[in-house]
Parts: sequence; C-alpha cells; structure tokens
Amino acid sequence: MKEYDVIGKNVRRLDAAEKATGTATFSTDFSLPGMLHGKVLRSPYPHAKIVSIDTAEAEKLPGVKAVATYQNTPREIFNTSATMAFTVPALEPVLDQYIFDNIVRYVGDEVAAVAAVSEKVAEAALELIKVEYEELPAIFDPLEAMEPGAPDIHPNCSAGKNIPGEIVKIPFGDVDKGFVESDVVFEGRFKLPVQKQAQLETQAAVAQVGADGKITVWSTTQTPHPSRSILAKVFGVPESKVRVLNPPYVGGGFGVRIGLSAKAEPIAVALAKLAGKPVKVVYSREDDFIASDTRHGGYVSIKLGSKKDGTFHAMELKGTLNTGAYCSFGCETPGVMGAMGLAVYRVPNQSYYGHSVYTNTSPAGAMRGFGNPQAMFAIESAVDMMAEKLGMDPLELRLKNIMQVGDPWCLPYPCQSTGLAECIEKGAGSIGWDNRNSLNQPGAKKLRGIGAGVGTHVSNAWPFCVDYDNAYLAVQQDGSIHLAAGVPDIGTGTSTTLPQLAAEALGVGLGEVSLTFGDTATTPFDIGSHASRTCYAAGTAVVAAANDARRQVLEYAGDFLNVPPERLDIKGSVIYITGQELGEQCAGTGVCQTGAGTSVCETGEKRNSVSLRDLAYHAHLRNKQFIGVGRIVPGNAPPWQAHFAEVEVDTETGQVKVLKVAAAHDVGKAINPCIVEGQIEGGVLMGVGYATSEEITYDAKGRQLHNSLHKYMLPTAEDAPEIDAIVVEASDPTGPFGAKGVGETGLVPTAGAIANAVYNATGIRFYEIPLTEEKVYRALKQRV
Amino acid sequence: MLQDYLVPKTIDQALSHLQNNNGKARIIAGGTDLLLDLKEGKKEAGILVDITRIPGLKVITMENGVVRIGSAATHNQVAKSDIIREKALVLAQAARSVGSLQIRNSGTVVGNVLNAQPAADTAVALTALGAVAEILSPAKKEYLPVEELYAGLGKSTLDSTSQLLTMVQFPALLKNQGSAFERLEQRKALALPMLNVAVVVSLSGEQFEWARIVMAPVGTKPVRATESEAILKGARATSELIEKAAGAAIAQANPRDSALRGSREYRLEVLPVLVKRALESAVAQAKGNF
Repeated sequence: MKEYDVIGKNVRRLDAAEKATGTATFSTDFSLPGMLHGKVLRSPYPHAKIVSIDTAEAEKLPGVKAVATYQNTPREIFNTSATMAFTVPALEPVLDQYIFDNIVRYVGDEVAAVAAVSEKVAEAALELIKVEYEELPAIFDPLEAMEPGAPDIHPNCSAGKNIPGEIVKIPFGDVDKGFVESDVVFEGRFKLPVQKQAQLETQAAVAQVGADGKITVWSTTQTPHPSRSILAKVFGVPESKVRVLNPPYVGGGFGVRIGLSAKAEPIAVALAKLAGKPVKVVYSREDDFIASDTRHGGYVSIKLGSKKDGTFHAMELKGTLNTGAYCSFGCETPGVMGAMGLAVYRVPNQSYYGHSVYTNTSPAGAMRGFGNPQAMFAIESAVDMMAEKLGMDPLELRLKNIMQVGDPWCLPYPCQSTGLAECIEKGAGSIGWDNRNSLNQPGAKKLRGIGAGVGTHVSNAWPFCVDYDNAYLAVQQDGSIHLAAGVPDIGTGTSTTLPQLAAEALGVGLGEVSLTFGDTATTPFDIGSHASRTCYAAGTAVVAAANDARRQVLEYAGDFLNVPPERLDIKGSVIYITGQELGEQCAGTGVCQTGAGTSVCETGEKRNSVSLRDLAYHAHLRNKQFIGVGRIVPGNAPPWQAHFAEVEVDTETGQVKVLKVAAAHDVGKAINPCIVEGQIEGGVLMGVGYATSEEITYDAKGRQLHNSLHKYMLPTAEDAPEIDAIVVEASDPTGPFGAKGVGETGLVPTAGAIANAVYNATGIRFYEIPLTEEKVYRALKQRV
Repeated sequence: MLQDYLVPKTIDQALSHLQNNNGKARIIAGGTDLLLDLKEGKKEAGILVDITRIPGLKVITMENGVVRIGSAATHNQVAKSDIIREKALVLAQAARSVGSLQIRNSGTVVGNVLNAQPAADTAVALTALGAVAEILSPAKKEYLPVEELYAGLGKSTLDSTSQLLTMVQFPALLKNQGSAFERLEQRKALALPMLNVAVVVSLSGEQFEWARIVMAPVGTKPVRATESEAILKGARATSELIEKAAGAAIAQANPRDSALRGSREYRLEVLPVLVKRALESAVAQAKGNF
C-alpha cells in the first residue's frame, strides 16, 4: 500500500484554533456598519388567502426602516432549493415560491418582513401589521392530499393531484415475472416521520446592496454559487453583480440550506433594497423549525420476492413522500430513495415508483441521507422478515445478496468498489452478533436485542443533477500554496481535507497550504457542499488543480535541473531527481558522483534537487507563476455501511434504549480518519434520534407541535449510545486517492438496524418510527 | 424594564431591598426560570435582588438529624452533596435529573420549588421527604411544608417581591429508612418528566413503619398517594404488597393528555410501574443500611 505524507492522517483541523477560541466568524455574528435587523411575520393558518394587508402602523413605529410584503417585492417565481440551478434537462425545475405571496400555504409561511434598527423594534413592528385572511381548506397527510376532493395547494400539477414535478419510475428487469418466479414474497407498508436537521446555527443572511446595484450576501448557504444564480434571477441582476459568501463558517447544514437558507437571503436582500441599508436576518429557532425544510415524512411500500435458497429475485418499492407546502427537493428526494433502495441488493427484477405530494405542512427538502434512510428502514425491516420466513440468519441472507463489484444495477454508473462484506463482518464482531438469541433471562422485564441493517449511498449527485467542480491552486512567490475552491465548510472539515489533498498531490507540507472557500467572488464555480460530495468531488478538482500546478513546476524544474521532468518528484516542498536521496544541494559526493542522476544547473553547479521556495522565486524573477486549474465532472462511487444496534426494551414502560451501535463504513480512502469517524458518529446519533425519538407532529389546526429544541426530542450527549465507528477502506478508482462520500452515510441503515433489534428483543415488528415509549408500550400491550 | 440589579450581602439587606421597593424588586437566585419569564412578560421586575452572595444561603448542612438546604444552593450542589446522597438519596436523584448540566449549575433547588410547576423534580422529592421551608417576611418568620408552597398551576404562595425563603429542612433518613426517585422521560437531559415519582420508606425489620409516595404531573402540584401509603403502613414488605400499593396510586392520579408527553391513559398505566420501582429501590436501600 502506498505511503502517504499528509492524507490518511489525523492532522489537526485547520479551523480548530479559531473555533475553539470563539474567533471563527459565522453569519449569525457577522455585522456591517449601519446594519438593520429583519424579522418575518408568519402565517398563523395552514392555508389562507391574504385579503388585505395594512403596514401603515408598523411603518410609523420609530426605528422601522422598511416593511416588505408581496406588494412591494419582486414577483419572480423561484425555488429556495438549488434544484433551480442544477436540474438536468429534460427535467424542469419546479418553481413554486415567491419571496411573499398573497396565499399562505402552511403555518409559518412568510407574510411580511420588517427591517428596523434592532430585532426588538422589528418584532414590535410585526405586531402592528394588520392582515385579513380568508381561510382555505387545508390538508396534512400526503395520501389524503392525492384524493380527488382535496384542496389544490398549487396549480399545474400535471403528474397527479398535488404531485409536484414528475413521478420517478425506475424499471429494472421484469418485476411481475420476478414475483411469479419467487418462492417467498413479503409485502408491507412503512410510515416515516418528519425529522429536522436541527443544525446548530439557524438560517441567517446579511445583505448589502451597493449604490451600483451590486448585491453582496453573507449567509449560511451550503451552495454559494447556485444561491447566487437564484438570487440573480429573483432580483433581475446579472450573476456577475451578485456575490454570495460564507463569512466563512457555517454552523452545520445537513441539507437544510442546499440553495437558499430558507428565505433568509431573499428577505434580507429585499429589505436592504427597500431600506437602502444592509440588513441582517437571523431565524429564531422557532422560525427555523417551522419555516425551513425538514426531512420528508410519508410512506414507503415494499414487496420483496426470494427463491427458497435465499436468492432475492424481485423487489418493488414505492414511495409517497410529504413535501409540505412547497416542492423544494420534493422531486429529487423520491428519486434518490428509489435509486439507493434498489442499489444495495442484487435483485434481477426490480421497480421503483415514487413521488412527493404537496400538503399544508412545513416544506420538506434535503436532509442528510435524502430519501435513503426512509427507503432503508423499509427495506432492512423487510429483509429481516424475509430471513425469518426463509429460516435463515439475517446476516447470511444479506451476505448472499449484497451487490458486488461489476454486478448490473439500476444506477447509471458502475459499481467499482464495495467493502460491505467486510463492514458486515467487522460490525458483527463488534456487536457480538452470535449472542443475539441468548441475551435475555426468562421473565426479564427489560429485554435486549441485536439487529442489523446495511445500505449504500452516493458520493455526489452526478449524473442525477448538474454536478461539477472547479478549483485553482497558485504557487506563491515563496513556494507556499494558495488554493481556492467554491465549496463551504459546513462543519464537515472541508477546510482541512481539501488542503490535505492539495498538499499530498503536490508534495508539500499541510502548513504550506491556505484555502479560500465558500465565496462566489474569489473562487471558481462549484456546485457546493451537499450529497456527501465535498471531499470526493471538490477534492477531485483540488487534486486536478494540484496535478496541473505540479506539472508546471516539474517542467520548470526540469529545465532548471537539466533533467527530463518525468524523472522528478516533489516531497516536502523539495523537487528532487528520483532515484537519488532527497536532501540538501549536492555536495559533489556520493550518489551525485556516480553521474547517474547528476544534473548541471543553469548556474553551472551540480545539484540533484531544488526547493519549491527557491524555484518559485526563481520563476517569479523571470515573470512566471505556477497556477494549476482543476475543472472536473466527478464520477460517482458507492460508499457502503453496515450498522449493528443493541437495544434494551423496557417492557413495562415501552422505552427503547439504544445501548450500542457498531457502525462499519466503507468510505474508500479515509483522507482524515478522525474527521471520518466524527461524521459517522454524528450520523449514527442522528439515526438513533430518527429511529427512537425525533418527529415533528401537527395539531388539528396545522400547527407544528414540535417547534423548539426543548420539545423536539433530539438525543442529547447523555442519550448517546456507545458508538463503534469502524472504517473500512475499499478504495474507489473514481475518488481522490480512492476516497468516497461519507457525510450522509452515518444514518442510512440505522433505523432499520434499531427496529430489527427491537424485534429481536420483543418479537414485535414496527412499521412506523420513531419508536417512542407510548407507541412501543401500546404494541406490547396489544400482544398480551 | 429592569432598572437595577442588587447583590445584598446579608438576609436583612435582601429583605430591606424588597421592602424599600414596594413590590418592584424581586428575588433572583439561579435565574434559569425567572429570566425566561421576564423575557416573555410572564413576570415583571424593575429590580432584581440576587441572593447568591449571601453567606449561608448556599450551604447544605446536617445538624441533630436535620438536613438544611440554603435557598441559593444549586441543583448540582445538592445532587453531588455527600449529605444529600447519604441522607436523602431521592433528592440527589431528583436534582440530578433537572434540565442539563448548565442549568443545574445555575438553577437552585428552592427556585425549582418556587417556580411551582406540578412536576418540579425536587419539589416532588422534598414533598416525599416531608420538607419544610423557612420563610422570612419583614415582620415574621414562618415555616411551611413544601407542598403548601403551591398556590396553583405555576403559582407559588410565596411572594418573591416581599418574602424570602431562606432554606428548606427535613429529617435526615435513618438507617432503617430508604428513598428513591423514578422518572419517565423522553431523553436524559432537557426533558420535562412524563411522570416522576419520589418515595421515602421507613422499615421495622420486614415491615413498613410508614411510606411517603409522591407523584407528578398528575395534578396541579406534587400529589401524595395516600391510599398506597395506607396499604403499606404496618404491613410486611413483600413484592405482592408493593405491587398492590403501586396499583392503588392511580386512584389519586389525574394526569392530562399531552400531545408532547404522552396520553392520560398511558401515564395512568405506567404510573404503577414507576411507584413499584421506586418502592423496591427504597426498600432495598433501607434493608441494605442495616
């Protein structure tokens, strides 16, 4: 195995000191001279027409500088998600949002906004806005919303009642014939909850509009470049006159701001234009909970057919997802649900049919896993039930059917790597799989169980969405390196791993590299940080840029050292002739005297190496700089995961306690293993919450019951089970140094593993998560 | 609007600040509830009188078999106190389950009681311990049982603009006594209880001398399960008896339906489990102390 100098090592994060000492800047603490504060008036009704809106009293309040409504802001239709900027033809992006509209479609929908000298004054002004609503019929369940009598939430749903965009259909083989030929068939429908990203920093933006009309927005977006495209369209200005940047840090994302940060950016810009001053909009936690995208809840149906010997023969998957009041990623999420759901097992006959449905609830969009955890809860539950029907060990059944390199699958790129079998083996060892049927004493009130789940994911969105990256790398006049990449660091360590990749590819120390990121004005276009893609795809562009610069350096050094460039290598910022010892300038002894690698420099002296510092300055004095450009379209690669959960079910109260999760992940080459483990651990805990406690529910009037961190049952540090993050490195030829995506993978199979563990403990199969105490208690009672 | 923040050094100073400001000044200790109430306009105060720097009010003591907890003692102080852990474990457990580490470092046990929420964990435990509060008014000193500090949902009988609760006291548990706290919660921190139960038992050999069982939120304040207590009194401490007493607790419980924290039906069904578990732990402790 190749020895690396910078990658594969737990180097300290480059943002560690800034973040640990509190000096790192986030949108929420960003400030400009003369800046005003914006606050948003939100709809109290799930569906209503605004009959009239009177802002006169609010405008009179001292300190109020602007009040924005649908009457004085652009009426350009858009989609807050980046789909607007990366939908691949012939598909059309669904555009269904205005900054403000005269119809509100969920509790929390934007009605008006105020810019004032302080948040307090802005809030007081909101109470002075008089709005007359005419309530419209509202609907909250996606299945009910598809019924003929349901209210139309948006016009022009050509695919079906309240169905945005197109229905996703993935055919593979002949599924009808497949079921006829199957010996055993399982069928079931699963219900999924609404989960919230609950990222640490709420949606936030600061907008400044110059006298020349140039717009600058500092915000929490995960995708500055696509966000710039959206804002340019909404405000009718050339993209070159809009700058979107992170300042430079973002307090988490998990998909909640792929595209705009809900409406923080357009509201801030609209208010800044009206007020003639910079405006800052920071969502309260309640704003963030009710008025920014959630994970899609809904229904997943599965039918799985197998031969007697456990060979899967047919699978049919159907997804009906609740996308809420606006589409956001409502077209892409069912697509990923199907594509990933069908990619885990080698099944010759498969089909997927899925779509979203509008309802009068908070919009659902992208969230870590993006449809995949929903699919895998159903699939991994079904596989366990199939194992029971077949009388097989669930792991044996999985090992028999999991995808192998080169197997045909439904995805438009080949499977070129899988470490899933190794993940299963290691995870099973960690959890003690063989003990799973001897964990409980007869009569025990607290029952233990062990369950497993597996899954895969993508390493970016190509070729499903527009997906490409650029980077440039400039060798400075002193030989140090400046790198520019358009992706943000949303907390995932990008600002460390990208410099690691550049340093490794170029042959310099990490300390030589600085990175500019997350800024449309100073970095070339990049699609952004989403789809587990940043290290994999932006990293590929960074490596390409480094290789380009390296080629230029070596060519120049070849002339300088008077050897062909192919004979040169770079290590520790020294360019040296290969086959010779790396080191100081040749003293004319030892290897140099053999003549084999000796070169004669321009100066006439003999040397076998030159430092990058000397070479860069030598070039500078001769009017030259080494600038590498990386312009790539990534391939795609499947990361693989096997999760093993051990749970304890309190049969007297219904409480499910997750004791341990062994999470074995094939991530390809781990560029920074510590960051990879952090991603896995964070993902697992989010998966534990998804399986056991997290959900946003609604009351009869369409109001979100879980609208704060107090009410929303995110697991706390004290709730975290033991997590054994196991890294398996099945290198993929398409990734930088073999790396694959990891960001979303930590929760793909978790809910399935936990539900299977609960079944192992209690013998009760749950078709719905989260496994809250009352739900589990009721099921235990019903059995008795 | 807050105009001043006073930090008296003595109890007398604190009382005179209250008196001099005629209802405009209010006592603050940890502030974890009060500051939110002030922000949300649920309470008003022009002046806050901070009692946390008054020597003596942060102290936990035991003298002549009586445990005293000063009104500025934090949850974490109480949860980690050797005195409380040895002489009133139920209270240490209850204090440990409030809020989060940060809240427990700031918020006080007495503040938890005076906020008067029906299921305030430490109020439930203190009621089971038979705790009494010392209350100073300008002209008098009085002692009130903790459960009588509840005037209604979220309302205390104490007027923090004219009175100061200086400490709560209760008898230290003896060797033949035990206590335990059980809490049904949706997560291990930052979660209000779906149910909580505090129990103190006194054994004589294998028999219950008496038991105090307190449960919440099953009414507007911590509720004594007196019927269960009566079943236990003087009877042999068998698991059958404990089960019977635990089952009887629901007769005095009137929980509400909560869309967030469980239905009435569920809470009624699970309540006996918590009472049973608390009794079992307390009995084991009382027996183990011999």
